[in-house]
Amino acid sequence: MTESDVESLLRRPDIAAIEADNFPKHTPLKGVLLNDTRIVRFRAGDIVVREGDYGNSAFLVLEGSLRVVLAPELPQSLLGRQQTGKKGFFEALSQLWTNSTVPEVRDISRYQGQGLRGGSDSANARVFLQDVPAVLDRHRTAKLEDGALFGELAALGRVPRTATIFAEQEATLLEIRWQGLRELRKYDEGWRRMIDQRYRENALKTHLQESIMFSRLDENALQSVVDKVLFETYGAFDWNVAFQKQRQSGNAKEPVIARQGEYPDGVLMIRAGFARVSVKHGNGERTLTYLGAGDHFGLGELYAAWKNPDIPDIALYTTLTALGYVDVIRVPAPILEEHVFPFMEQPTSTTMDIASKPVADDAMMEWAVEERFINATRSMVIDLERCVRCDDCVRACASTHGGNPRFRRHGRTFDNIMVANACMHCADPVCMIGCPTGAIHRTVETGIVVINDLTCIGCATCANSCPYNNIAMVAIRTKDGHTIADPNTGKPIFKATKCDFCDSNPGGPACVRACPYGALRRVHFREFNPAGAG
Amino acid sequence: MSQRYSAVPVTTFCVLSAAVFGLTAWAARDTWENLGNPAILTGYTLFVLMLLLGFLNARKRLSMLPVGRASVWLAFHVVAGILALAMFWLHTGTIWPVGLYEQVLTGLFYLVSLSGIVGYGLSRMLPRRLAQTEIEIIFERIPAELAEIREKIEALVLECTEKTGSDTVAQHYIGTLSWFFARPRFRISHIVGGDAAGHWLRGPGSAASRYLNDPERAYFDQIIELGELKCLIDRHYACQELLKKWLLVHVPLAMAVILVAVWHLILVNVYAL
Repeated sequence: MTESDVESLLRRPDIAAIEADNFPKHTPLKGVLLNDTRIVRFRAGDIVVREGDYGNSAFLVLEGSLRVVLAPELPQSLLGRQQTGKKGFFEALSQLWTNSTVPEVRDISRYQGQGLRGGSDSANARVFLQDVPAVLDRHRTAKLEDGALFGELAALGRVPRTATIFAEQEATLLEIRWQGLRELRKYDEGWRRMIDQRYRENALKTHLQESIMFSRLDENALQSVVDKVLFETYGAFDWNVAFQKQRQSGNAKEPVIARQGEYPDGVLMIRAGFARVSVKHGNGERTLTYLGAGDHFGLGELYAAWKNPDIPDIALYTTLTALGYVDVIRVPAPILEEHVFPFMEQPTSTTMDIASKPVADDAMMEWAVEERFINATRSMVIDLERCVRCDDCVRACASTHGGNPRFRRHGRTFDNIMVANACMHCADPVCMIGCPTGAIHRTVETGIVVINDLTCIGCATCANSCPYNNIAMVAIRTKDGHTIADPNTGKPIFKATKCDFCDSNPGGPACVRACPYGALRRVHFREFNPAGAG
Repeated sequence: MSQRYSAVPVTTFCVLSAAVFGLTAWAARDTWENLGNPAILTGYTLFVLMLLLGFLNARKRLSMLPVGRASVWLAFHVVAGILALAMFWLHTGTIWPVGLYEQVLTGLFYLVSLSGIVGYGLSRMLPRRLAQTEIEIIFERIPAELAEIREKIEALVLECTEKTGSDTVAQHYIGTLSWFFARPRFRISHIVGGDAAGHWLRGPGSAASRYLNDPERAYFDQIIELGELKCLIDRHYACQELLKKWLLVHVPLAMAVILVAVWHLILVNVYAL
């Protein structure tokens, strides 16, 4: 972005409408446009955003026209995603003799015709639709033209994109990073109103209905709740970058969302991300539990205040802090008193029961929160008191992945538990943010995070983003062991690799099956019980 | 932190093994009473058991197939191994036979059984000991880690000599400590759970401490601290090496037993029947 680009942007009516005077001196509008936006050009057929992807930016159409795919969804193969069914018994067995002794062998003929543009340059790489007219014939689409804004909810709310959008003809877009979007929403009334309004219209009602608190409300009551809730975000969208530094230095700073002892003015519903619930203990904070998407905070205190109006000054029992980036919906107390409390029973809170236990009892959970392993849905946990370090798990992994293991039997330890360096298939997959071709994605069927080797351009965005170092970049080779080089640059071609939970292999993860001592498990940290059956 | 694991497979295999042994013993007795040769029945049963025991090794190469959990296979292997021992005695009717060939076969069979029992014991005992070191290290990385420790110590020794102008620490390192840091030491002690390494480090290893002034002692304390870390790495080396290498005894012996048993089977079928 150059100064002249900013000047020409400011001449556009939609940008000129932003009240620059409302922006503080340290964050002027020009600065936001200069540092947090860029102009991106798309050719006909280029996919701008894919349904299911995570993104950290919104787009404003400056020129040209785009299409939003409404129904039916585009096939996964057109989106640059993996299309692999489960291997059959004999196909799986054939790996016994087809696996190569040379590491990371690839058949480069398979990379042809993948609908990729832009080579290995992550800024310009795109997956494109090769037959736009056919897509328009077979799918119902809506047009987006000059001045249309899209992608802001996914960028601010850390939720997957809800639709695929592609360029119907040459188009120029303004890409606004989440930081810029946050500033625009913060300092410009028009943008705030627009973004909030869209959220209320598109996602909020569904989200509230999913909560047990509001599930019984009729349409009118629900609408009145929708109109009055507030949206808040805490922490940095790219928390993983700071987290890696903090992990080394050990002085993590967590934004406080609500503090113990303060008056609760509303229930906080976590829409995305994670938050820590803690109480003062000695000279520190003791973690009691953590909250994720769909959980709420402060309901017990508010209910007690409503039920016992004679008791003065009911305060929050615990503190809530953001673990990374948290998207919160604040439901004001009067709304709850009108629509929820009269129809619900006294909520049961287990947090104070936890507080009455010895601190040693929840040291494991404290550690898991500290290390952000709470993000894991399929973490590889090894019981070191049972593991004989035979590496059968590593060999099993290699045998199901062409002779290449996709994890390291090494990692952070606590007591006798090790969380190995294997992809955890996170609830908040920061690795998926910024992949230029959508090669890293969740499978529709299982929700497992996989990488499509055919559309991975080796830019390492995912590997650099993963806060747990669970993605490895590998140089690919021919069958005779020669490194494959990019014909244009002469440099070795790299691909991102990681555990895919044996998604295409029959029988689930081979590592778990291969452990002779039952030491290895794949666990969701929410349900993880170190003393559980193996 | 203790862990509870399902005992269902083990219990099931124990019941099945007892049933197999009971049935075979009853059938052998019945054959004997009917003037038949019970050794044929018990021998073939034993041979089939040996082949089944060998399948655990084959299963390791079939990780890509959903052929059941290796932990269940191991439970079967252990129980079937004990059954094989009982079946062996039922078959031979003695602890030590008289023929040379049979003695070789028996000797090999006992060695396989013994190495299996010892290996199983080690695999239950040593991981706990390793977990208690509170460090975790991949076996193949240990030489590199030790080299790194040596480099750090030599840098400390040089710096100490330069900064203090005294070579007491350097002399002690060359004369005494370098032996300890050269490669993994005190393996037996680490395996049996002793603290000979720590004892040596606090004794001969720290003998020079009394001749040092404060600045030298600050360096020396760092060296001893690295020595304590090396003790933990040595423990990992000793235990992990044993956990890996007992199989190099057990598996070849098991293959030898099967080969000798096949020859025994051929001889019996050709000459004794």
